[in-house]
Amino acid sequence: MPFSSPSPMALNKPSPTSSIFKKRSANPVLPASAASYLSALSQADARARTGTAAPSFTSTPALSLSSSATASSEGTVLDPAELENDGLVLPLQPPTSEQVFATLHTEFGHCANDEFRTVSVHPVGTPLAPHVEQDPPYYVLLSTYISYLLLIVLGHVRDFMGKRLTPARYKYLMPHDGYAPLNSDFDSFYTRRLKTRMDECFSQPVTGVAGRTIMLLDRMSPDYNHTQLFTGTRTRALNISSYNYLGFAQGSGGCADAVEESIKRYGVAALGARLEGGASDLLGTAEALVAKFVGMEDALISSMGFATNSTYIPALVNKGCLVISDEFNHASIRFGVRISGAHVRMFKHNDMENLESLLREVVSQGQPKTHRPWKKILVIVEGLYSMEGTMANLPVLLAMKKKYKFYLFVDEAHSIGALGPHGRGIADFFGTNPRGIDVLMGTFTKSFGAAGGYIAGNKTLIDRLRVYGHASPYAETMAPPVITQVVASMASIMGVQGFTDAPKALTDGEYHHPGPAPPSALPGWLHLPPALASGAEGTERLRRLAFNSRYLHTGLKKLGFITYGHAASPIVPLLLFNPGKMNMFHRLMRARALPIVVVVVAYPATPLTTGRVRFCVSAAHTKADVDVVLRACDEIGDVLDLKHGLKKGERWSVEECIRRAGELGRA
Amino acid sequence: MNTTTDTLAPLFQFLDHTLTTAQTTFDKLPGSAVIQRYVKSSHQNDPGRTLLELILIIFAIRTLLQSRTRADRNGSHFIKFTDKEIDELVDEWTPEPLGAPLSPSEESDLAALPIIAGPNGPKPKLLATGKVATNLASFNFTGLAGNEHIKQRAIETLRKYGLGSCGPPGFYGTLDVHMQLESDIADFLGTEAAILYSQGFSTISSVIPAFCKRGDIIVADRAVNFAIQKGIQISRSTIRWFDHNDLGSLEEVLLSIDKERKKRRSPLTRRFIITEGIFQKDGVMVDLPKLIELKYKYKYRLILDETYSFGSVGRTGRGLTELYNVPASKVDMLLGSCATGLASAGGFCAGSRTVVDHQRINGPSFVFSASMPALLAVSASEGINILRSTPSIFETLQDNIRAARAILDRIDCITVPSHSASPIIHIFVRHATPALLSPPSHATPTKTHHSHPTSILSAKDIGREAEYDAEERLLQEVVEEALTHGILVTRAKRLRGQEMVEPRPSIRLALTSALTKKETEKAVNTLKTVLVKVLGRKR
Repeated sequence: MPFSSPSPMALNKPSPTSSIFKKRSANPVLPASAASYLSALSQADARARTGTAAPSFTSTPALSLSSSATASSEGTVLDPAELENDGLVLPLQPPTSEQVFATLHTEFGHCANDEFRTVSVHPVGTPLAPHVEQDPPYYVLLSTYISYLLLIVLGHVRDFMGKRLTPARYKYLMPHDGYAPLNSDFDSFYTRRLKTRMDECFSQPVTGVAGRTIMLLDRMSPDYNHTQLFTGTRTRALNISSYNYLGFAQGSGGCADAVEESIKRYGVAALGARLEGGASDLLGTAEALVAKFVGMEDALISSMGFATNSTYIPALVNKGCLVISDEFNHASIRFGVRISGAHVRMFKHNDMENLESLLREVVSQGQPKTHRPWKKILVIVEGLYSMEGTMANLPVLLAMKKKYKFYLFVDEAHSIGALGPHGRGIADFFGTNPRGIDVLMGTFTKSFGAAGGYIAGNKTLIDRLRVYGHASPYAETMAPPVITQVVASMASIMGVQGFTDAPKALTDGEYHHPGPAPPSALPGWLHLPPALASGAEGTERLRRLAFNSRYLHTGLKKLGFITYGHAASPIVPLLLFNPGKMNMFHRLMRARALPIVVVVVAYPATPLTTGRVRFCVSAAHTKADVDVVLRACDEIGDVLDLKHGLKKGERWSVEECIRRAGELGRA
Repeated sequence: MNTTTDTLAPLFQFLDHTLTTAQTTFDKLPGSAVIQRYVKSSHQNDPGRTLLELILIIFAIRTLLQSRTRADRNGSHFIKFTDKEIDELVDEWTPEPLGAPLSPSEESDLAALPIIAGPNGPKPKLLATGKVATNLASFNFTGLAGNEHIKQRAIETLRKYGLGSCGPPGFYGTLDVHMQLESDIADFLGTEAAILYSQGFSTISSVIPAFCKRGDIIVADRAVNFAIQKGIQISRSTIRWFDHNDLGSLEEVLLSIDKERKKRRSPLTRRFIITEGIFQKDGVMVDLPKLIELKYKYKYRLILDETYSFGSVGRTGRGLTELYNVPASKVDMLLGSCATGLASAGGFCAGSRTVVDHQRINGPSFVFSASMPALLAVSASEGINILRSTPSIFETLQDNIRAARAILDRIDCITVPSHSASPIIHIFVRHATPALLSPPSHATPTKTHHSHPTSILSAKDIGREAEYDAEERLLQEVVEEALTHGILVTRAKRLRGQEMVEPRPSIRLALTSALTKKETEKAVNTLKTVLVKVLGRKR
């Protein structure tokens, strides 16, 4: 069993680790010790693999769909060299004859144990526990500030010297030939002097499906990250970074089959804007289905997630209106609000008291200077915040909305599909009626493995947006294959009436939220395989995601890390603080024998001192994958001194976390 | 008196003690002597300075302590209310509805929107009637829509990459096929590099604020499209307008800015000229060689929106630079769309490596948005391959344009300002005083009008909006009537009330090489009959 004996991927604890720690304390210079650590790590890994993995590898796998699908699936890039079993390409535990897995293990992991499932729901009537941001010890904060200070001072010194010694290299930052520089040295200072140092963490090119694993195109930099060269090799890595919450990023399976059919039927492009000859029957069907999915009267679809906010918010508010926006709202919301010409005020992240006092102020004061009453007030929050993993306090917002008569806009870019027992987002999670919210916005990029976004609301409002939204007359409509991916994945989460035995499946052909989709809501040519149409696979995905999210979140907490956000959130930020640790964390994860790719984010995406690594859990991950991540974090956390969340005595060992996974994941 | 001193004595003692302790602690601090000496000597030399520095320190502390999210509560406009008063005000306040219902005409327009059943292309089937119509509305200049080879490649890509990329380009969303398309576009145009955005419309409104900041100068055409207007608005740059497609007016504006700068001796800031290749609003084409000459003469950077000219003009569809034989590298930022000529989706900005790399960090809709689906990127790459090897596409397209124009130019109840090579053709209702409406051309600059460069409103536009409603109804009637004859055309849909200048209503045709010359002629002739009938009736 994977949790009774140490996983073959783990470092062989007793001998090499302790010596490394001694080394580290003796020689605190990071790169040197880290490099030696890395080589020891991979050696230990190789040893462990030959030692313990061998028996499970040689045992005869039962005949099942999985083995055939994994080995000989069409169109999947499988390197023969990759077939060495490290749990990445083939599952460590071969399936038994009862288990039938229809997915590729690289895209959507095989995990049959029903113990590792849970439901994403908030008990109705209980208030959302306030989110406490745990502070690190003072020396961490101090060293973080000193790191930035050092980086800034060094950067300026280098700029000063460089401009005098090698002026040619700074020419593009100086006025030349009567042109002002495109990029002034002051504006680009952060990019040149700080971000460049950690460029290896960003914009990593990949190929293939961004599923459970991802294929990296290896690159190296000969000149301190100024240029990146491809080495020509590829590395498959465990992907805990993509927004693939429900694991619908797949090149095979029912959804991909539906998309293929749609390409044959509809071609690739929509050829124009909604109002100028780009509207199709498929678009109408999809919009109606989205409305049903989120539980609103009507919905419209836009071809790009960012543009959904930036081009439709200006159609909601204009001059004389007030937008009250959470301080951590996404850039697209800010972009849209700025274009709209409405007045904007911010409140502290998720602080409902702050919001209420702000509301009392703005309603009583009216518009600045003139004191005229506001035409309307729109409060914009996100369902799930992409950098924090925190959730909007929907019950309080809805109660406050009754009193202060503002309109509520919830950006569900990350929460739709990822939260709630039926995957219907934040309202589903809190068990409230979505119609209490005025505007629901979301994207298809994340949970649905597609692209673009939607806005849902009442019919009058959506019709108005169809005419007045900036994208409506000018932007291309969503391409038919993308629409089909949305429809197929959404229908498989909902289940189709007649195919599902869910108690909510009523026979009157009507839709009851949050129930299965009536067959008439799908395009006539779309035939989903039974597992999808019955909603069984969709439910499975929701439950796996809910378990994985809670397991990773609570597991990291128990190991002693500082994490942010709600335990049910598939976004799990782990706080690193020091800028130098981000690079190291990324590199150590990437260089493991079973490589893991992570997203590290720092200022300006986060406040200066709270640099972090952000894990995005997926339903495609197996429990064993989360184990791998926990083990890796545990080892690296010791090396980089990251466990500031719990005192030594209160921490759990990683083995204990893994053993008690079921308990942690159900919380 | 004595008693008070007695009672206060412990207090004085305490104060004295604290002061001494503070003094000794301060002395113990390293470097305290230096500070003390500095303060003393500075106070001796200039007591006023001590006061000033003290005030500065207090001000700094106050600024630091001030709440980030609260406006100035002590400002002269702030009125203090009691809680009860606030409650009353909250009760009294009634907001406007979030979305007012559409007007009856808007509603009927929305209901009349043709919806295509099945694949869109040159001859799509309409959902309402089930009949096939000839499509002169959708953007399919090169006829690549429905191309079997592209479909096949799209399916292969789907199997290999899945559909969505599930991440922004910065975080594992950059696929090899995106890099391939970027280098294909750069190669095709002849620039150093290119960057891909996932929606054509959002490209330029992101590119402009990536480069143009507060204090920079933008000189733009008065008739630029909505996306450019929004990009300019969000950039907060200083903006000067020149008359629509009038390069004489552009030069005047450039000269006046130069003069002003010299007079004020203001520092050198970034300066940009923003215009379109073929204008979305009327199909007019810009004189690129002259524009480039001006840009070099006055040292401006050129942002050129080729959304409707890329993949439609030039021998192999490379756009204006190919048509005028100008190296694309002379255009600093060349923007185009993969949704029009390449029948895929997304947009791009081509330029030097510096220009492109800058956007990878500073282009809001690049950084904060998921990258485009792999199969759309591959479709666009395949589209470019086909265009490279099949110049006959553009011969057919130009033949069709010529045939359509030959018919349209002879109808006297309409005017067509669009350039004779433009695949988008705008049809305006001819006005009672036709002289005013002739398309502005730089060959005969109209010196009689003087519009102010700080205002987008041109002198000749003023006072026209009143007629627009009637014209719009008339044109909508033409569109609906044409549809009953099996011709799918569309009014140029606008965001009335949100554009900087209300554009005149028009019908916008988009020609395609997927129709033969005969089919195009037949369709345009039918449109002609409808136009003459409907517009003639109203005269």
